[in-house]
Amino acid sequence: MAVTVNALEVRRSSASLWGGLTGARRLPTVSKLVDTTVCIGCKSCEVSCQEWNDLPVVETKQKGSYQTLPELHANFWNLIRFNEQEQGDSLVWLMRKDQCMHCDEPGCLEACPAPGAIVQYANGIVDVNPDACIGCGYCATGCPFDVPRFHPKTAKMQKCTLCVDRTRNGLEPACIKSCPTGCLHFGTKEDMLLLANTRLAQLKKNGFANAIVYDPKGVEGTGVVTILAHGDHPEWYGLPADPTIPLAVSLWKKVLRPLGFIAVVGAIIGAFGHHLYHGNKGHVDPGPRDPDETPKPPV
Amino acid sequence: MVQPKKQLGFDAAAFRARLGEDVIVEGEIVRHRLSSRVVHWWVALSCLFCLLTGLPIWIPVYGWMANVFGGLAVCRVLHPFFGVAFFLGQAAMHLHWSAEMKMSPRERSWVGPKLLEYLRDEANHADIGKYNGGQKVYFNTSFLAGIGLLVSGVVLWCPETFPRALRGPAILLHEVTFLALFVSLVFHVYLASVAEPGTFNAMMRGTVSKAWARIHHPRWYREVVEGRRIPSSPQA
Repeated sequence: MAVTVNALEVRRSSASLWGGLTGARRLPTVSKLVDTTVCIGCKSCEVSCQEWNDLPVVETKQKGSYQTLPELHANFWNLIRFNEQEQGDSLVWLMRKDQCMHCDEPGCLEACPAPGAIVQYANGIVDVNPDACIGCGYCATGCPFDVPRFHPKTAKMQKCTLCVDRTRNGLEPACIKSCPTGCLHFGTKEDMLLLANTRLAQLKKNGFANAIVYDPKGVEGTGVVTILAHGDHPEWYGLPADPTIPLAVSLWKKVLRPLGFIAVVGAIIGAFGHHLYHGNKGHVDPGPRDPDETPKPPV
Repeated sequence: MVQPKKQLGFDAAAFRARLGEDVIVEGEIVRHRLSSRVVHWWVALSCLFCLLTGLPIWIPVYGWMANVFGGLAVCRVLHPFFGVAFFLGQAAMHLHWSAEMKMSPRERSWVGPKLLEYLRDEANHADIGKYNGGQKVYFNTSFLAGIGLLVSGVVLWCPETFPRALRGPAILLHEVTFLALFVSLVFHVYLASVAEPGTFNAMMRGTVSKAWARIHHPRWYREVVEGRRIPSSPQA
């Protein structure tokens, strides 16, 4: 019997020894493909995300660009970032879909201390399980893309679920459904990479020699594959060039914690061992006793 | 000799005498006056509550402790408050004891081989005053760890108000200082309870027997009996 959350089999679970995969079924990893070269910044994906997930309105903030909000919000999981970049004497205007990247090696899951609060389903979707989330925010520390956000009312973390309630019923995520330009696609990771590489070849032929498929290996690839025309400058899109789980998080979970556990258990065993071997302390005779000394010295 | 039957009821004179420290009351030596004990147990209990709410967040093995408080999410809320209470107690403790806990260069050797000698009962106790080197090392270690825990704990408490770059180091600092405190705490609790009978009472009722004082803290014992300060001998 496989471990399931949201009626989906779980591949990996935070702060847990094992995942739930029995291997009895072959479940392909799903993925979004974001082709930034054909994004027109219409924000229909933002609207459909808010609508499908029933998220309340978040007051917009004007910062001198088309961007709805300065950054992601607990109630705003899909943000089109508008970046203006000078390139020689011309200007490139770049739009990128900022959302959870659904990493194959998720830093949030690694950093989370609450058992089962972050799960990676068998199909690769990384999700917050609010029943188990304690709102500590460690997942945000572990995320190389700065995605999870704290919701002060529920004291839980929130982020894109890759519309897990749609995808588990065979539907594409809401953002994909609403995209009018073919910028967004949804399918198995294998299919999305195939499509991405076809598009990449096309872009290179059209003069974008530095174009890449952004599927960073530092997190074992992402469930959101992005095509960048200016692949030599992912930072122009607000993407890290080589995202990895922060060193502090891996050092903590992989090195300090096991060592610390051994140290704590060792100290307790050491104290018991000392008493078993030495008995009470205080055998050393410090000299003559006072006549009125009562009771007898403990030995 | 027939001991006079101890009178029931409140003995105001003895109570007042026991408010002093390093004095002999009814044949026993007052080692910790009431204020010392209150401060100590404030720190100890807040530390216990920090552990009960913090350990289940540390490793799921201790997850059962969270049930005492109503779950892990409640622990996440309570832990910082217990932490602040713990630090306030530690600060008070530092003010209360820091003069007596100043370490001489010789006592710093307790960090290494001297501690093992002591644990093997091979140490020369003759020159030990009211606190031995190990106690002073523990006192100062736990205070330093307490500062580290507070500083990193505040960042972890409200992660969104601090820059992202601080959160990773805060996790590491909290872990390292916690381990330093907890491992030394295991030995503190052990040595102050089962390992040395009579020690626990020093922190509960405040008094120790003369025999206890003479065996564990000989120079302090002479100071109390002779009613004068005896400088530590350089060769011991």
